[in-house]
Amino acid sequence: MLGFLIGEAVRDLRRAGRVAVSAIVLITLSLAALGGFWLLSVNLERAVARWRERVRIIVYLKREPAAAEAKALVERVQAVPGVAGVLYIGKAEALASLKQLLGKDASVVAQLPTNPLPASLEVTPAAAAATPEGAGALLERLSTLPEADEVAGSGDWVERLSQWQRLLTTIGLGIGVVLAAAAFLTVTTATTLILHARRAETEIMRLVGATETTIWLPLLLQGTMQGLIGAVLALAALVATHSVVAPRLEPLVNLTLGLPDLAFLPPVSVLALVLTGALLGGMGGWLVRPGREP
Amino acid sequence: MIELHRVSKVYSVGPVKVPALSDVSLRINKGEFVVLTGASGAGKTTLLRLLYRDDLPSDGDIEVFGYELGRLKHRDVAALRRSIGVVFQDAKLLPVRTVYENVAFVLRVLGTPKREITQRVFDALRVVGLSSRAQAYPAQLSQGEAQRASLARAIVRKPPLLLADEPTGNLDEAMEDEILGVLRDIWAGGTTVVLATHQAYLARALRRRTLTLQSGRLVKDEG
Ligand SMILES: Nc1ncnc2c1ncn2[C@@H]1O[C@H](COP(=O)(O)OP(=O)(O)OP(=O)(O)O)[C@@H](O)[C@H]1O
Ligand SMILES: [Mg+2]
Repeated sequence: MLGFLIGEAVRDLRRAGRVAVSAIVLITLSLAALGGFWLLSVNLERAVARWRERVRIIVYLKREPAAAEAKALVERVQAVPGVAGVLYIGKAEALASLKQLLGKDASVVAQLPTNPLPASLEVTPAAAAATPEGAGALLERLSTLPEADEVAGSGDWVERLSQWQRLLTTIGLGIGVVLAAAAFLTVTTATTLILHARRAETEIMRLVGATETTIWLPLLLQGTMQGLIGAVLALAALVATHSVVAPRLEPLVNLTLGLPDLAFLPPVSVLALVLTGALLGGMGGWLVRPGREP
Repeated sequence: MIELHRVSKVYSVGPVKVPALSDVSLRINKGEFVVLTGASGAGKTTLLRLLYRDDLPSDGDIEVFGYELGRLKHRDVAALRRSIGVVFQDAKLLPVRTVYENVAFVLRVLGTPKREITQRVFDALRVVGLSSRAQAYPAQLSQGEAQRASLARAIVRKPPLLLADEPTGNLDEAMEDEILGVLRDIWAGGTTVVLATHQAYLARALRRRTLTLQSGRLVKDEG
């Protein structure tokens, strides 16, 4: 019986011919677009997560406190909500690290009449404060410290990156949905053609007492097949593109985003894409079946 | 087994009402061989279509195999039809399938195991004398051959009730005799047979119970 149903579904697909091919192409395109944007989004998200961990807020102090004062200050800041860690950096320490940074040009520093660098606190935000709002609030709270001269957050661009990631996801979803709608309509058209082409079969099936399931399951199956073929093609295209493009892009990505590599979609996403394809096709095939006879 | 009580059928073609059957009451028992006759347009096909619930009567009640056809659930419609073999007047062969596939189709639709199908299809084709044309497509068949293919399809499931609508319509005399022989054999095997024909001499030759329709009315029930 299963063999019969699948056989009829394949026959149906062949009957729809070019329209079925268009439907498959459209499903491929929509899933490839969806998957492509998803892939970019996944990697940007990785970059954002990585950078969020590294976000530090620097509180420049008006004057260098005495050692005991500094210890009390650190303890006070440590108690501020949203703060995970505090590191005190004195003027001398700051200068030392600047020298280290400058390396062989460090002699420039030696010529300075006084140490121009302020003492500062390096604050690591807690995970809860790593959101744009949380980071902003923390920045606000830290700038009310009487000792604070200026507060600088390195989190801004991470948030911008995160916004880009969200924008990209939205665009991807938008394009995917529009293409998916077109694909759905094409599956529907293909199925309508099939319905017309197989009406003699449908009539005979009914007249010999086939169940409604037997009559319509091939229609559902052929739609699902269109969706599955489209999904597999889209995934193949994504894998191929990824394997060609990713190695070439990695140095750039490494430099700008700090990512060691460009990851492919996780298995869950791959499964989601395949299911979306199958669902898209199956629904297209199923929904156009006419009502029962009188 | 079949019972019609004051059955009427009126077709509506736009505003025009075409009466096809008027006030027909009859009863056919299990194991009968009944000939349904009448001039062209008398309502024979209409009557048969009502029996396999292809259409509903405008008035009256029909009972087949204990099913009240007027209020039958879809699942029961399918069950009813599975017990009825029909030779359609217009053959209704699927054009893109061979004779073999056409006959096998009705078995496959009902989920018959594959091993069984081949055997049964060839048996049915042998009975109607069409074994050698198994691989031909309907377009390559003569009208008589097409009707025999249709008969093979109707009997391949060995239904308890066989409705044959002009199965000899396009056949020469020798072939006519052969088909009637086939029907008689099937009937002898326990199947109830209703044969519709406009050829009055066939009814006489068969010497079986004959129902005569005239403009949709049952005017004679004899034999
Ligand atoms: N689907 C239909 N729509 C409208 N009128 C119909 C329809 N089917 C049959 N008729 C009409 O009903 C009447 C009975 O037709 P029916 O086909 O039952 O006759 P018949 O006895 O089978 O004739 P024949 O010997 O030519 O096959 C005819 O007048 C016919 O024109
Ligand atoms: Mg007729």
